[in-house]
Amino acid sequence: MINKTAFASALCAATLLATPAFAETVLRIDEVAVGELDPAKASDYADSILMFNVYDTLVLPQQGGPGHVPHLAASWEVDGATYTVKLRDDVKFQSGNAMTAADVVYSIERMQALGAGLSYLFAGVSAEAVDDTTVRFTLEKPYAPFIASLVRLPIVDMAHVKASSDTEWGEEFLSANGAGSGAYSVKSHNPQEETVMSKSDSYFLSVPDAAPDTVRMRYGLEAATVRTLIAQGEHDIASQWLPPEVVQALAKDGSQLLTENGTGAFYFKMNTTKAPLDDVNCRLALSHAFDYGTAVKMIAINDSVSAGSPATGAIPVGMFGANGSDMVMAQDMEKAKEYLAACKHDAADMNIEVSWIAEVPLEERFALLMQSNFTQLGIKSEIKKLPWALFAEQVSSPENTPHISQLFVNAVTGDPDTLLYGMYHSSTPGTWQSPEYLNDAKVDEYLEAGRTASNDAGREAAYKSLNTRLLEIAPTIYGFDRQSVFAASNRVSVPALSDPDKAFGLDGLGFSFRLMEMTE
Amino acid sequence: MIRALRILAANPMSLIGLLLVSIIILAATFAPLLAPYPTHNGAIVDFAYANKAPNARNWMGTDLVGRDIFSRILYAFRISLTLGVVVLAIAAPVGTAIGLLAGYVGGWVGAVLMRIVDVFLSIPPLVLAIAMMGVLEPTLTNAMLAVTVMWWPWYARLVYSIARAEREEGYVLAAEVMGAGTPHIAFREILPNCLPAIVTKMTLDMGFVIIIASSLSFLGLGVQPPTPDLGSMVAEGARYLPDSWWLTVFPGLAILVAVFGFNLLGDGLREILEVDE
Amino acid sequence: MPAVIHLLLRRLGISFVVLIGVSMLIFAIARVIPGDPARIALGPNATTEQIAKLRTAMHLDESLPVQYGHFIADVSRGDLGISLYTNRPVTKDIAQFLPATLELVLLAGLIMIAVGLPLGMLAARYRERWPDHLIRVLALLTVSAPGFVWAVILMLLFAFYLPLFPIAGRITDSFEITRVTGFLTVDTLLAGNLEAFVDVIHHLILPAIALSLSGIGQAARLTRANMVETYKKPYIEMAQAYGFFPSKIARSYAFKPSLIPSLTIIGLDFAAMLGNAFLVEAVFAWPGLSRYGVAVILRKDLNAIMGTVLIIAITFLIVNIIVDMMIAFLNPRIRHSARGSA
Repeated sequence: MINKTAFASALCAATLLATPAFAETVLRIDEVAVGELDPAKASDYADSILMFNVYDTLVLPQQGGPGHVPHLAASWEVDGATYTVKLRDDVKFQSGNAMTAADVVYSIERMQALGAGLSYLFAGVSAEAVDDTTVRFTLEKPYAPFIASLVRLPIVDMAHVKASSDTEWGEEFLSANGAGSGAYSVKSHNPQEETVMSKSDSYFLSVPDAAPDTVRMRYGLEAATVRTLIAQGEHDIASQWLPPEVVQALAKDGSQLLTENGTGAFYFKMNTTKAPLDDVNCRLALSHAFDYGTAVKMIAINDSVSAGSPATGAIPVGMFGANGSDMVMAQDMEKAKEYLAACKHDAADMNIEVSWIAEVPLEERFALLMQSNFTQLGIKSEIKKLPWALFAEQVSSPENTPHISQLFVNAVTGDPDTLLYGMYHSSTPGTWQSPEYLNDAKVDEYLEAGRTASNDAGREAAYKSLNTRLLEIAPTIYGFDRQSVFAASNRVSVPALSDPDKAFGLDGLGFSFRLMEMTE
Repeated sequence: MIRALRILAANPMSLIGLLLVSIIILAATFAPLLAPYPTHNGAIVDFAYANKAPNARNWMGTDLVGRDIFSRILYAFRISLTLGVVVLAIAAPVGTAIGLLAGYVGGWVGAVLMRIVDVFLSIPPLVLAIAMMGVLEPTLTNAMLAVTVMWWPWYARLVYSIARAEREEGYVLAAEVMGAGTPHIAFREILPNCLPAIVTKMTLDMGFVIIIASSLSFLGLGVQPPTPDLGSMVAEGARYLPDSWWLTVFPGLAILVAVFGFNLLGDGLREILEVDE
Repeated sequence: MPAVIHLLLRRLGISFVVLIGVSMLIFAIARVIPGDPARIALGPNATTEQIAKLRTAMHLDESLPVQYGHFIADVSRGDLGISLYTNRPVTKDIAQFLPATLELVLLAGLIMIAVGLPLGMLAARYRERWPDHLIRVLALLTVSAPGFVWAVILMLLFAFYLPLFPIAGRITDSFEITRVTGFLTVDTLLAGNLEAFVDVIHHLILPAIALSLSGIGQAARLTRANMVETYKKPYIEMAQAYGFFPSKIARSYAFKPSLIPSLTIIGLDFAAMLGNAFLVEAVFAWPGLSRYGVAVILRKDLNAIMGTVLIIAITFLIVNIIVDMMIAFLNPRIRHSARGSA
């Protein structure tokens, strides 16, 4: 005879054993292709997300305020142009190797040797491993924001790379595999399609259980696809390039809106070497003709969230030297006409090329807006759509650079130097950040002062003068201060992207997966 | 002529085709008069009315910067028809001439010419046009060039097969015996017998050219904004499905209606002119 | 030598010549473009030395015929160069993306034949009566819009408004299938995962239908026209006089002769579908060769452009040869002449 009670309890016990404690959580995000896994080559947003999760850096920005906090570093000392950094001794790479000063030196030398991505931040820096946990960086010249730039130096597992690759810097290996100490390791990587990362259990900081177990980052999804996938519960966080209308539709459907303010702005950069924009009066005319108000309206998602805020000058609000909110840029057709009359070129002969980046569909409407503004001035213009790769190639020579290029630029280290130096110094023309080809002695002077000033007050003064000067010579139309908006499902909570006290103030760090919480 | 009308009358679909084509040609020609917002085909932005569903003010809704879609479709028909006419006006004569020559003269000249034609025909039509547009600047002129280059071989092939067959016919042999020169025989004797097939093909091709052109601009390789073009309007609108459906659906239907009309008309012509398929 | 084999060899020879011609044409076009491919490849932060090094490696500073020579040498070794877009060998890209497109096109082709031919037969059988008219109008309608219009309409109706089908990708993420052939239909069966197989088919249906629509219309029209011609032939009249059932006449006597001309056009339609796949893949975000092709064309990625166009041309030529062979086989005159000359 079957003992029903015994049978029932056995069944219960079996069921309990069979059920896992909790199901594996998967976070699904998307970004613009291509995802560059090699940390020395990382430059775009997708690359940054990969880098910040698979690798660690010596310092991290303070959440919710200015300054930097130690991360892989335990502490540091500054003596003029020499920085001595003491490392933590409890960090293990995902391979199991311990992190030492030698890895740090290898990482910075690798960046310098490959000369790609953001390696320019470390030009002229020499590093030596004083002992296993101490690194000394010696700069050629004092550089106030050096600590800030350490946020873009991911530390690579030297032993692992050397063991897995027969080249010194392991380029082929690192473009397909991770070799970092980050909280997430790479499970699979297809730069066109998807990267899959899973939580590592040997992270030196404690990672909450609520953080996603697996993250799938897909590349190049269409807007309509993302919209439907989120609505059907099959996608979690959209990229910031989703057009505002689609974000609006998602918000109406109940998605949450995450925001990231990475100290950047949206610029219409004018090629100052190409007529008619070689005459400052023409540039000032165009600057005053642009309808800033409508541009800001075009990026509004709803009453409380917008992908940007009005610009007050050349420097985004919140950074050194920014103008107050009383100096909002506004359209002034009368002034525009005055400047146009003063310009030495004839309006009837002009044909301004307004380019936009194909991967950012939002930019097309700004091009159209600009075109209609210029038409009111009697100036003809044509719109050129350029894929990113082509654009970057064309701006390498002043003749091929379009008259106007639309770009989102942000300070990659959070510091104004990395935003403005690369854009306006006469020694760095012709990169994607500097289609202006600007060559102005006063601008150079202020940029260098901002770099070398010994205290905050000095930097503030330098950048204030820079701001005024830039508005005088108008090499750029300052569209708006940018805020990235991400539509997201309610399955995930991201304090770094929703709570100002937890915000990093640096593009990409909001996507630190270990700080996210899956809510189901 | 009476016969033609009788055939048309017996075949209501061809009449509908004629009607549709006439409407489209009229719409394209008189776009500035018919469009409720004639300025919307140019550099204008009216953001206050952006992204509105079809309503009394904008029968087919507005696009993302506030332009009236109905007006833009009317102007887009202009671009499509112009492109079609120009392409066919060049591709048909060029292809016909080459096909005639190859078909009548024959020999190694014919073989070489047809091999060249084969090369062009061995690439799927759209692929060649895409490849060319990828290389050239995306403008209307270049789009016309790319489609023309891709189109003439079809006429060459068509005329070649007819010319080859006709070559053995009595009237050709008679002309040769009388001492007529090659150009005369080719163009004055053989060509007229190819005309019905050519004309029918041209009418049908009108629709097909519209399809190819809109496909090119759908991929971003055709005319650039703010010039309105049916293909690029569909492409831009596809991003905002399903919420702003009117951005894609109306231009898409416009393409369908236009091409359908030309196809119906072409089919009717084929019957009238008694062309073998 | 049997005539069929003779024909095959001839066709292969001609195809090879044609292929050379195609490669030269595309090579010339691609090299004429403005822009420095090396700079594009290395990205925005490249130094002049790196660019110069890459230019030499890519033979960009040598004359056009020499560059073509390098290209032919590389191709014969199976090396199509590195794609600037993906930073991987082009052969790897093609191996990844081609099966996706082929799967789509093959399914679309099957649908085209399975639906188009019977519709055409039906129209011919009931010619001049209402089924014929209806089918002819529908067929003409499907031919009258580019693939992307149908793709958008189908997507809107059956993926958005009626969520019956998925809208993106080839397979739901949660399935992990090892790619053996790249054809997911085959790979899922090889892995023994029936659920995944059904999922793959589910993802395939909408794009395949969108792609096949104009082909269906074309096939139907053609089959109808050819069968109507055949119906006029004397031997059909005789069969009717003998009192054979119309359905038997349709199947046994009218269909086969009409098959041959239809096959030629179907072969051409298959090629057109390869081109149309560009449009459908764009709408459905299908990770196939066509989408890759458009992306590399927009970025002036020379190696990838050459590789893609060559592969498409080769596929097209192969299909043509197969169709020609089938026609030769089906045509009793050619078959019998083979026996005569053996």
